[in-house]
Amino acid sequence: MRVLDCEIPDKLYYSKEHEWVMIEGKEAVVGITDYAQRQLHEIVYVEVQKVGANIEQSQTIGTVESVKAVSDIFAPVSGKISKVNEELAENPELLNQDPYCKGWLARINLKDFNKDLRELMTTQQYAEYIKGLEE
Amino acid sequence: MSKPLKKTHLYEFHKQRAKMTEFADFEMPIWYKGIIPEHKAVRNSVGMFDITHMGRALIIGAKSEAFLNYVTTNDVAALTPLGAHYSNMCNEHGGIKDDFVLSRLEEEKFLIVYNATNRTKDYEWLVKNAKPFNVKVEDVSDNIAMFAVQGPNAQKTLQKIADLDLDKIERFKCSWTKLAGLEGFVSRTGYTGEDGFEVFIWNTPLANPVNAVRVWKAILEAGEEFGIEPCGLGARDTLRLEAGMCLYGNDIDETTSPLEAGLGFVVKLKKDAFIGKEALTKQKTEGIKRKRVGLTMLEKGIPRSHYEVWKNGEKIGHVTSGTFSPVLEQGIAMAYVSVQYATEGNKVEVRVRDKLTEAQIVKFPFYDPAKYGYGRQK
Repeated sequence: MRVLDCEIPDKLYYSKEHEWVMIEGKEAVVGITDYAQRQLHEIVYVEVQKVGANIEQSQTIGTVESVKAVSDIFAPVSGKISKVNEELAENPELLNQDPYCKGWLARINLKDFNKDLRELMTTQQYAEYIKGLEE
Repeated sequence: MSKPLKKTHLYEFHKQRAKMTEFADFEMPIWYKGIIPEHKAVRNSVGMFDITHMGRALIIGAKSEAFLNYVTTNDVAALTPLGAHYSNMCNEHGGIKDDFVLSRLEEEKFLIVYNATNRTKDYEWLVKNAKPFNVKVEDVSDNIAMFAVQGPNAQKTLQKIADLDLDKIERFKCSWTKLAGLEGFVSRTGYTGEDGFEVFIWNTPLANPVNAVRVWKAILEAGEEFGIEPCGLGARDTLRLEAGMCLYGNDIDETTSPLEAGLGFVVKLKKDAFIGKEALTKQKTEGIKRKRVGLTMLEKGIPRSHYEVWKNGEKIGHVTSGTFSPVLEQGIAMAYVSVQYATEGNKVEVRVRDKLTEAQIVKFPFYDPAKYGYGRQK
């Protein structure tokens, strides 16, 4: 669905810090939302923790730098990083151009997704959430 | 309740096309297309900024030259009518009250254009110090619209709507001319490092923005063939930083002196008494302890204001502004460092969050002046 000109795909989960989660079996693919990339604008560097790092939900998993500012990316789920998107080092603009596909950040081996879910939102809930932020 | 934000004549235009931000009590565009494309339009062709938010005052009277020589650091006697220069005002301790461009309109009439953030402070400072000189200080900020047309194609763009042959206006000169049929004033100055003009539409109160909008649109239309972009405050900041120009409140303020800031070229210690002269003379004799330098990052990472600068395990200074340079495609910054380290080519470290990141001290401007800026090879 589209809200405030932002794409919010179905079947993903969303965090309050504007990360998305796509579940693939025991793993999750994570990234930042269209709303987040529009707020950040013109991303020039992306840094994500290394493969093998254990991360807890809501902890910093990396940083993005735009021309204007630096922002932390918070892990939307807990687990172990199994893969990071290497292409972002060379092409950080993928986060702006294609946040849900080519701009993915990391794959995470899930620890306890049922627990993570308590802090996550559905597409509909996230749509309401960002509408609330703009009011 | 907070005060409602001030608007410029072009507010409706900006609001429809740009992301807006609050700056110095004004609601201003931060970008239209984006900081990087707007920045590149100015470096490679032409861009236009609404800078109506800046402060403007006229100084009129028989002793206006003497007054300005007393209250500013540069040599006002050297300005001939329709000449302009960059200058500073200091407090008694030699700290910078503001930096600005001063134009001599007539023998006894000057125009000063200062920072938006200092509008009230500067006006009050001028009025207070003007009393013994019996000169008139008139705040004309709200009665003039002001745009900056900047870039290698700025002259070609503006010429299409100007009556006067702009070739006749050299850098740091100004003149009256009709613009799109209206009375205007242009000054070959700017805040980007590029050739370009600052355009003043006189007698244009906010309540009646028609003339300002007409000139703005005429310039955009004239620049269309050159790919002109309206530019926001985001690109204004990256452009001035690449050019090595200070931003008041970041790189200079009342705790920094022009000598520390590398602005000694606008401090004329040989002229008669002026505010801050004693302190600055003393500082010059004793030598400065810290100095503003340029830094380019040798690793990934963007230095930002307040980041620490280190050398050999010792903190030697801090960043005052930093950004990603769209031309160099790397992080650049201005920083104050202890003077013993302030040597070009010196390697230092910038603490980018938790990590010490390698950087090098470089001279201003950051770009190659043979390729970019007003002095570029044609």
